[in-house]
Formats: sequence, C-alpha cells, structure tokens
Amino acid sequence: MVSVSANQLTKRYGRLTALEDVSFEVQEGQVLGLLGQNGAGKSTLLNILSGYFPPSSGDVRVIEKDMLMNPLHAKAHIGYLPENPPLYTEMTVAEYLHFCCKLKGVVSADVASHIEEIKQITGLSDVSHRLIAHLSRGYRQRVGLAQALCGNPEVLLLDEPTAGFDPSQVVEFRGIISSLAKRHTIIFSSHILSEVQAICQRVLILHHGRLVADEDLRQKDGRDIRRFRLRTAINKERMLPALRGLPSVSRVKITVSDHTMSEAIIETKSGSPFERELMTLFSGLQVPILALVPMQDTLEDIFLRITSGANAPREA
Amino acid sequence: MRAIFHRELATYFLTPIGYLYVGVFLSISSLIFGLNNLSSLTSDLSGLFSMMSYVWMLLTPVLVMRLLAGERKQMTDQLLFTAPVRAGEVVLGKYLAACTVLLISVLLSLVYVLLVALQGRVYPEELFTLYLGFTLQGCAFIALDLMMSSLAKSPATATALAFGANLFLWLATVASSGISSRVVTRLNGFINLYDRLLPFLYGQLSLANILFFLVFSGVCVFGTTQIVNARRWSGQ
Repeated sequence: MVSVSANQLTKRYGRLTALEDVSFEVQEGQVLGLLGQNGAGKSTLLNILSGYFPPSSGDVRVIEKDMLMNPLHAKAHIGYLPENPPLYTEMTVAEYLHFCCKLKGVVSADVASHIEEIKQITGLSDVSHRLIAHLSRGYRQRVGLAQALCGNPEVLLLDEPTAGFDPSQVVEFRGIISSLAKRHTIIFSSHILSEVQAICQRVLILHHGRLVADEDLRQKDGRDIRRFRLRTAINKERMLPALRGLPSVSRVKITVSDHTMSEAIIETKSGSPFERELMTLFSGLQVPILALVPMQDTLEDIFLRITSGANAPREA
Repeated sequence: MRAIFHRELATYFLTPIGYLYVGVFLSISSLIFGLNNLSSLTSDLSGLFSMMSYVWMLLTPVLVMRLLAGERKQMTDQLLFTAPVRAGEVVLGKYLAACTVLLISVLLSLVYVLLVALQGRVYPEELFTLYLGFTLQGCAFIALDLMMSSLAKSPATATALAFGANLFLWLATVASSGISSRVVTRLNGFINLYDRLLPFLYGQLSLANILFFLVFSGVCVFGTTQIVNARRWSGQ
C-alpha cells in the first residue's frame, strides 16, 4: 500500500523556486532517505508533506487522504520532527509529551500508557521530570522524536534528526530509527551520505529543488550487477582476451597497464559465479592474481555524479 | 483546542508573565483605589474602573505578546500546524487562555468591593454591570492585540504592535471628538473600545454594547486566524 504520495510538487517563494515538479510514492513500511546539499529543498519538501504549508502547486496524499482537501485526517497519520525540534522549554518532558498526545487526539485513558511506551523507545524515562530547558542537545532531539511518535502515526517525517550529534549518539539514534522502521513508514532527510546508506532502503536525491535520482539501495548491495577491480601480473594484451572469454563477464575496462602488470574494472552479469570462473582460469594459466576488490556503487558515487554537472539530468 | 487552552493557561504561571501581569494589574488598581476611593471616602467604584480601562492599553499587550509571536520565534508553530487541529482552534484556545488570566485578575479586584462593603453600601446590580463591561472590554483588547501580534515574528515586536494599536484607538477617540463630521463619528463608533465602557460605568446594561464587545472580539479572532493561515499559504 502507498503511504505517502507526492504529485508534481512545486514551491515558489516569490521569484525563488525552492521545489520544482517533485513526484514520488513511498510504500508502507519503507525507509526513504532524502538526500541533498544544504538548500536543496529537503526541509521545504518535508514541510509540505507534513502539511505545515501547502505547495504552490501539486498535491500530497497521506494514507489515501489528500492533505489540502482533508488536512485533519491526513495530519492524523503524520509524526513530524522538524529541523529544530518544536519544544516548549518551560515544560518538563512529561508535561510536554502529555500536551502532544492531547494535541494529536489520543484518548485520555490511553495517554499515560502511551507516553510510558514512547519514553521507553526514545530512552527518556530518566529525564521525564526535568525541564526541557535543562536538557542537552541530544536529549532535546529525543524529546523531538518522542513528540513525533505521539498518537502512533503511520508515517514519520524526520528532518536531519542526527544533525549536531556526537558519533556515539548518532549510532544510538540510528538504532532507535531502525527499530521504529518495523512499525512506521519513515522519510528521513540528511546531507550525510553514509547515514542514509546505513538506514534507508531507498534514497531520493534533491538538487536545486529538483528530484534528480531515485535509487533502490538494497538492489545496489549485490543482488544486481557487481563490479570488481582486478590486478594481475600480466600485460593487457594477454589479460583482455582471457577475461572476455569468461561467460560471467559483461564488460571489461583496462585502467592501468605496463609490461609487468595490468589492472581492469570488470562488470559481471547478475547472479553469475564470477569469482569461481576467474580463479579457475588464472590458476590454469598459472598467472598470479595480485588483487581482486569488489566495488560498490556508493551513494557518494551517485551523489557526486549527479550533483557535479551544472545541468543535472532529470533522471539518473 | 482544549489542549492548547490548558497549555497556554499553565504556561502563564510557569513563566513570569502571568505573575507580572497580575502583579502590575493589582498594584496599579490598588493605587487608584487608594487615591480614588479610600482617600476621598467614596464607595463609587466607577472611577476606578474608568481609569483602569486605560490601563488595559498597557497590560493586554503583555498578555498576548508570547501567544503567537513566541511560537513563531521558537518555531513551535510547526508542532501546532502539523497536528490534526485547525488554525482557528489554535487561535481560539490561546485567546481564551489569555481571557482567563484577565478574568483571574478581575476576580482578584473584588477585594476592593469587599473593602468598600466593610464600611459602606454596595449595589450588586451596578457592580455586576461594571464588572461585566470592564471584563468584556479587556477581552476585546486582547482580541485586538492578538491580531496585531499575529503579524509579528518576535514577542518584542508583538508587544510594540499591540501597544501601538491600543494607543492608536485612544488617540483616534480623542482626535475624533474634536472633529464634527458624521463620517468620523460613525467610524469612531466601530473601533472605539474606550467610550463603549461609559454606559456600563453609569450602570446601564445595554445589549448593544455587550454585543459590540463580543462582535469586536469575534472579528479580531477571526482576523487572526486568517492572518495565520495566510502566512502558511505564503510559506514565509
């Protein structure tokens, strides 16, 4: 089932276009990363998806409810953690969460047990009665996340949730988000590539307000085409025909070559026993393999490839 | 809406603002009570409330300054406007919370009635009329100031705008009394929050004046909702 669908979203601030013709759908239970440089339009997109402000054109549907026509129903399915957590610092954590539950229409009888559960998930039980003003940045971010969980919404929108954390907090926070992924659809923005790669199944890349890529990360992780870097102790005149003879190899590109060694980047057909064929071939030829390194098409590659061009392509 | 009302009301007394407001209200009113009633030995409280109606000009901006502009500054409006509640409910919850604090201060001023009753005669019907008019006037000022503060990005600007509006109304009242034009008099009648209290001070309970304060407040609360929504539409 489709949890969130965005259809041709455009947002203009006067003459500035912050978002242009962005469309995508997120399936139930998916963890979607929203990647882009600062100012790429990530926060604008999340603000529109959350219903904080409407797009200049286009529409948003959350669990089949149109955000513009039926805002109260659509918003009831959304938990939003904005870039700056919206906290009332003069309240204690418990008071604040109580308010958030009431605001989101949690039935009075369920509020206490619901808050207890949320505090367990986000690790806030120990600071429950402290003023939010006295909490550290890391804890404030947790309170912000706890706020988004109030009312148990199907969809969580998290805007740079790990910004400003120290490394151990980042790891811990990722753990929390991974555990939430079992019960929620999550859209998560970041400008940190490794983070998106660690948590998300799918990534959208925004650049200058346009959606320039929509990549399935799980597919990139091996089931599909694989790439290797191979270095051997023969020159390219001998290596090239040998490699081309292998049934599992689809493309070979020599990168370095002299009379003692050569290096190649090899693309294999999906699901083929490439390593086995290669080892059998080279041991038969009695040629030593100096290195065989599997290459991952990292998010860095994708990101830099797409965002480096002045006129980025519409679809990657 | 109830969640917002409860939170705002609690926040007045979690922060110094509620105490500041009630404290200043009681200090000024007791000073006037002392000068007006105790020293001149009169049991007539209309003079006290006549002067206090000008104190609204100073005090209601304090009550409203944080309500909308504070949310914008702290960016907590993102919580309110992404929750499944209407902007109108948010505005109304906040308005009613401010009116409740105002009502608390007005009820505390009943102590003056008590002091008068110890030594002189009080007329309950007149006092009721007086208190009703005074409270409605205060609530109308809150509505006006809330609308002004919805234009501001910070509580300081909100206070300035709200005070400016109150002062403008007063100056308009004073100025229009010197102009003998029917148009000006009519226009002044629509916005004159100060003179509308006079019948109540004289002990006249007129439906027209009660309705005026209620409609004035309603229009301002509605206007505030429109401003808040308009800003979200423009995405600023």
